[in-house]
Amino acid sequence: MRKFLLPLLLMLFFIIESIFVELMPPKVFGNEYILVPHFLMIAIILLTVYGPKNYGVLYGFLFGLLFDIVYTEIMGIYLCLFPLVAYICYKLMKILQTNIVMVTFISIVGVALLELGAYEMNVIINRTDMTFASYSMDRLIPTLTLNFIFIILTVYPFKRHFEKLALSLDA
Amino acid sequence: MPQFFLNKRLIILLVSIIILVALIGFSLSGRSKLSWPEQFIKDTTGWVQTAVSRPTHYVANFFENLKDLQNTYTENKELKSRLDELARLESEVQKLKKDNTELQEILDIKDSLSAFEPKQATVIGRNPDKWTELLIINKGSRDGIEQNMAVITAKGLIGKVKNSQPFTSTVQLLSSMDPTNRISAEIQADGESIFGFIEGYDDEKGLLMMKRIPSDAKVKKGQTVISSGKGGVFPKGLLIGKVVEVAPAEYGLTQTAYIEPGANFDDIEHVMVAKRGSVQPDIKDMIDDKEEEL
Repeated sequence: MRKFLLPLLLMLFFIIESIFVELMPPKVFGNEYILVPHFLMIAIILLTVYGPKNYGVLYGFLFGLLFDIVYTEIMGIYLCLFPLVAYICYKLMKILQTNIVMVTFISIVGVALLELGAYEMNVIINRTDMTFASYSMDRLIPTLTLNFIFIILTVYPFKRHFEKLALSLDA
Repeated sequence: MPQFFLNKRLIILLVSIIILVALIGFSLSGRSKLSWPEQFIKDTTGWVQTAVSRPTHYVANFFENLKDLQNTYTENKELKSRLDELARLESEVQKLKKDNTELQEILDIKDSLSAFEPKQATVIGRNPDKWTELLIINKGSRDGIEQNMAVITAKGLIGKVKNSQPFTSTVQLLSSMDPTNRISAEIQADGESIFGFIEGYDDEKGLLMMKRIPSDAKVKKGQTVISSGKGGVFPKGLLIGKVVEVAPAEYGLTQTAYIEPGANFDDIEHVMVAKRGSVQPDIKDMIDDKEEEL
């Protein structure tokens, strides 16, 4: 049972992202901000930081593929970005110290990297004509705010769960 | 230098970049069908999505209903005042319908472009990264849904079916930017209709763009835009929206009309997939066989 808990948890966030976008009212605080949830990415980053070695990159790869097939129908964008961001966060954590404030900071940097990477890719394949100025005002900053709130709420439960998982695998 | 090339990480990086470019190119190549592993994965996740999204929608609807209860009194008053008007309108519609069928019988018209079979479906997912606006619905090719069919809500056209799997399908909204997203539309003006194409969406204004309208056509604000049925797959007469603004196009040869969509692209729960009633002649039938033999 324990074995399936982690994939199930990530699957849950995978689906919650879609439901969140469906139920989200289009106007927040009177402005048409584009709020994009990156809950799955946050879970994967925290898994990389606290969980067993290499798990983050592996699950990033698997769920990136799933995300691309099910949601975007363009294979490759998240398949590449999820593991890459997880790997960068893993490397950053080796340099920096692992306290909870630092991890929160790293996670938000990871989400920003993911957002910027996805923007660049979509500009390259001509799926958006948003300028960088309007992108950063209407999408990047609101998205980072939303995900920052999510990180603050969930970083502690994730930490406990993933550390337990790492311990149970070591034993 | 040799050490540089032997670096394992560098090789992994290079190989993954090649795979990435190949995969993106493969996905964008305009394939008419998804490969079977993709279809299988989409259908499987579709079941999980249904299992999770239905209960959440019930809860969300419950709270929305509570909110609606607050303004019931004023709404009721307003609706009652409109009821008289409705009765008159209904009798008129009945009369017109009868007239229409009678006239069609006289002219011996069997099927029209506007006939379509609606198929109910429920939205079970939406693309969370909002770059391409895609919806996942719970009906697929088993229910007769095929690629490129029109998808509507009660308020108007919202998009077309992008891909259909056996049990689920993906709907591409009109608001997503895709050069292949093009719909033949007509503006209902007094006397003659004006034809053009719905191409693209202005993200900042939240308006659809109707391009290629002849420059001498007089488009006015507030005119209704419907699908023309001339593109081949969409039925005629699906409401798209209302004209808000008209501007000359880049080179002044044509005009571009900005259209406020009738349907709300953000809050979609139940949709209808419109299967066109009249049969499209098969290309094979149109080609003269004798010519090929020569």
